[in-house]
Amino acid sequence: MPLRNPFRRPTATTVRRRILPVLATAAVTALALTACSAPTNAPRGPEFFDWSDVQVAADGQTVKLWMWGGDDQGNAYVDDVLAPAAAAQGVTLERVPIADTKDALNRVFTELQAGRNDDGAVDLVWINGDNFRTGKQADAWFCEWTGLLPNMTAVSATDPLLTEDFGTPVDGCEAPWHKAQFSFVYNSANVENPPTTIKGILDWAEANPGRFTYPAAPDFTGSAFLRSVLYSESGGYENVPSTFSDESFDELSPALFDRLEALAPSLWREGSTYPATSEQLTKLFADGEIDMMMTYGPATLTALVENGTLPATTRVLTVDDGTLGNASFFGIPSNSGNIAGAMVVANEALSVEQQVAKADPAVWGQFTVLDLDALSAADRELFDALPQSPVVPSFDVLSRNANPELSAEWVPALDEAWRTRIAAGQ
Amino acid sequence: MTAALTRPVRPRRRQLRAVLLVLPAVIPVAFVVIGGVGTTLLQSLGLMPLVGTAELSTAAFDDTDELLTSALLSISIAVVSTAIAAVIGFFTAVLIVSGNWGGRIVGALGAAAVTVPHLVGAATVGLLLSDSGVLARLFGVAPEAWPALVAGPTWFAVIAEYAWKESAFIALIIVGTLATRITSYDETAAVLGAHRFARLRLVLFPLAAPSLLVASAIAFAYTLGSYEVAWMLGQTYPEPLSVMALRLFNSASLSARPEAAAIGVITIVLTAVVVAAAMLGLRRMRAWR
Repeated sequence: MPLRNPFRRPTATTVRRRILPVLATAAVTALALTACSAPTNAPRGPEFFDWSDVQVAADGQTVKLWMWGGDDQGNAYVDDVLAPAAAAQGVTLERVPIADTKDALNRVFTELQAGRNDDGAVDLVWINGDNFRTGKQADAWFCEWTGLLPNMTAVSATDPLLTEDFGTPVDGCEAPWHKAQFSFVYNSANVENPPTTIKGILDWAEANPGRFTYPAAPDFTGSAFLRSVLYSESGGYENVPSTFSDESFDELSPALFDRLEALAPSLWREGSTYPATSEQLTKLFADGEIDMMMTYGPATLTALVENGTLPATTRVLTVDDGTLGNASFFGIPSNSGNIAGAMVVANEALSVEQQVAKADPAVWGQFTVLDLDALSAADRELFDALPQSPVVPSFDVLSRNANPELSAEWVPALDEAWRTRIAAGQ
Repeated sequence: MTAALTRPVRPRRRQLRAVLLVLPAVIPVAFVVIGGVGTTLLQSLGLMPLVGTAELSTAAFDDTDELLTSALLSISIAVVSTAIAAVIGFFTAVLIVSGNWGGRIVGALGAAAVTVPHLVGAATVGLLLSDSGVLARLFGVAPEAWPALVAGPTWFAVIAEYAWKESAFIALIIVGTLATRITSYDETAAVLGAHRFARLRLVLFPLAAPSLLVASAIAFAYTLGSYEVAWMLGQTYPEPLSVMALRLFNSASLSARPEAAAIGVITIVLTAVVVAAAMLGLRRMRAWR
């Protein structure tokens, strides 16, 4: 018999008493939940007539830029170069590091679901591809604002990399930030005669078992590798329709997965497992466990070689059939409370000074989105004077025969098929 | 019933005050638990879509083959690592309460291990055990020759990380219960002629058992629900429930959210079953009564 507190009331009444607050809380929660489950009615955001209108509204605002935090150089560039330039225009820029861009998107979705329509936590996101498309589907972006940015005049209006983002029309819902080129990377100390095509890379991997692997989809880099091999196995990007359809998927993807299935036993750990992220892939390369890897951000290689993370013999492989190219952007969620400030930051990031600073391999080495032919001779000179990296070729060499990205619908379809056929097939 | 109705007014008011005092604590907890679980349930049943109309459907639970594989994997990892943690945790606790020099060092190490976040722990275990990790280099073993401890088919690194962290947690919980009453019982038993093993079996273990069970249940629930260790140190396929839920929740396709929520619901049910079983077991324990 347990000891009873003599001052305690008999149990029956206490239980009855306890039920009331519990019921009340349940009722309150249920009410709150029904409010949450209402369909999302995304807000439209404010209206601006001209740029000075934006500048007035932006003064004193604090802009929270959500961006992938895994790149030290990128973080340093935003904190030390971009933020002071924004501050000079009265906008405080705060960087919010995230593990994956989807985290920012999910935050916005959750806020919209909960009806938080005009003071969201995300003011600006570094974004592209399927994330942009998903946000557009859910009506989560503030749109038709890039036309107001004065610095957009230096950006080509017809560059297909900038008018469409993975096949999704940009429609003024995001402002370009930089260009990227998918690149294969090898250790020239161990690979004497580097292959010159993507087919050649796969053959090389089979001739050198255990010295090659790629990140597991849906990792961004791993997923880009799937698209590269899809192009190569289909006989070039011209043969893969950019718009997704079940027919073209059923027609073209078997060749890709047959090839990857045949390749798997020759991969690192016989393809029984794959690195989960591109960082893990880079670590394998840095540790000398593999001799070839890939990245969608060749910009970071120069610094990684300089600080000794990667071997000094690291080189970027240029392939004759070309590699995927894309651009990344700034998007503004429609529920941001600092839209004008975010526009000022996006405009500042497009200025010649910022784009030149960012293109310097010692700073970040990101390729510019500005149309160099449209710049004044003096501005062009600034880009030409940039130091050349010993590891990464210049953008015009790297982007020779650049392949356009497929429409964003292809990405989850290929990722999912890879999981069920290749990852599960082991 | 009648007693409640005829009771004088004053204690009733006091009771109301007690309820009001406790509400600030209860409401947030209830809001999070009922709200979180409720939202997950609604999403899993297709009632909270991001786009399109809400419609009741169990489609998110349909992929039974893959869900079953993942659930079995999750449960296996949780059971094995919790069992190892319980055994190590119990003996560590015994060592700590013994009060000697070694026990104090172990106690300090255990307390330090509890403060390490699992994410940091996972990164550390990864650096230690991977193909070209610290241990492989220390022993001069080539990466190809080193066993696949990280991301291997045995899930060794994942289980090792959970077992290490949770054993420290379990040990500290047990030390908390033993510390207050162990000395008198232990000394009495010793005076009555009980040997070390008999004291361990008949005094220490029964006294520690309730907290061992509760701490193990907490460790199990945590291991089943957390994703970061399995994601960082695990194999690409198959995935534990938590890793799968996160991948789907973060998936670019909007339709994957209900599936992620469905996995959340399954995880909650599994955890609830285990915790309920542990509570039933607790009631039967002699020391608890």
